[in-house]
Amino acid sequence: MKDKTFAIILIAITVIGIGVTAALMIHGYNLWKQISIVEMIANWG
Amino acid sequence: MDKNKLTKQLAVIVLVVALFAGLDIAIYQLFIKRVISHHSPGMQKMSVEVDNYVPFTNSDNVHSYQGVVTLDGDIPRIDGAAALLPVYAGFVESIYPEDSVIFNGEDYDPSSAMHYTNTRGAYKDIVDGNADIIICAQPSDEQLAYAEENGVELEMVPVGSDAFVFIVNSNNPVSDITIEQIRDIYSGNITNWSELGGNNVPIAAMRRNKNSGSETALEKLMGDTPIVPDYTTLFGSPIGFSFRYYVTGMLGEGGVKILTINGIAPTAETIADGTYPVAGNIYAIYRKGETNENVYKAVDFMLSPEGQKIVEESGYIPIC
Repeated sequence: MKDKTFAIILIAITVIGIGVTAALMIHGYNLWKQISIVEMIANWG
Repeated sequence: MDKNKLTKQLAVIVLVVALFAGLDIAIYQLFIKRVISHHSPGMQKMSVEVDNYVPFTNSDNVHSYQGVVTLDGDIPRIDGAAALLPVYAGFVESIYPEDSVIFNGEDYDPSSAMHYTNTRGAYKDIVDGNADIIICAQPSDEQLAYAEENGVELEMVPVGSDAFVFIVNSNNPVSDITIEQIRDIYSGNITNWSELGGNNVPIAAMRRNKNSGSETALEKLMGDTPIVPDYTTLFGSPIGFSFRYYVTGMLGEGGVKILTINGIAPTAETIADGTYPVAGNIYAIYRKGETNENVYKAVDFMLSPEGQKIVEESGYIPIC
């Protein structure tokens, strides 16, 4: 694999990875704002 | 092509993908999985959605007794805590003129006599003069200081009571706790459930927003003992707190259990007779020296047999 190709693949994976992680955290934060402490403890078995 | 170089490149790619996958799985397991709401019927029954408690909409959730007294003239603006919305929606439907309540489908109109801004907003509004009566649990020191700074003295009339309860996941073998142990948990002196006869698992001591009703109740319970933030919350088994009203609907679900305190469960009887050690009043609060006679008429109604029935039918403990 050429170095340039390798770098592009690595950058693409990193960008996608950061995007997915950020989306997960934003999604979790939005859920956290809506859930009650009671329900959260019920989920926390 | 250098085969060795290609192998290393592929290894790096696989490693980076695995790192992101591991991170995302950890985020899901430790965070997202715990905050997904299942909206079971029991939870829905006790969750307070503002549009389910709009007076004069024939809502089954609002309990009222009309015809005892009807306010006219200068109608007091009423506000309060989220958990107490069922109570004061019942008061309003009983004694307020129907045209004094204006709900626009999402929130109350600024010109409406009834508002819902929750504990923090309500305490600010009563001091700022944007509300004339609020229905809340006891104020925090910060809220009292805000009133004092603004030269406002608050008159607090108990109109009902409820228990401050501590809850754990139903799989937690610990079922009883003492007040001293609660203080030790929230001050960081007890950090593992094994110290309370449970499993060898760290305690995740959960908290609420500053100046919320239940966080204020915790601060009062702690007294002079400082509350130490728990930075290991994600990794332990949780303990949290709430008011009995909120938790009642959850008990049948099997997800949480209420801890007895000093061996006493928070029942209607133990709250009413004071044997449950952390019962607390809910108050009708107005500014001392209030000149609007309707404020006093409204509070009198809340303490009347009909007003107390509303307290009881809304899930709280009447006081008289």
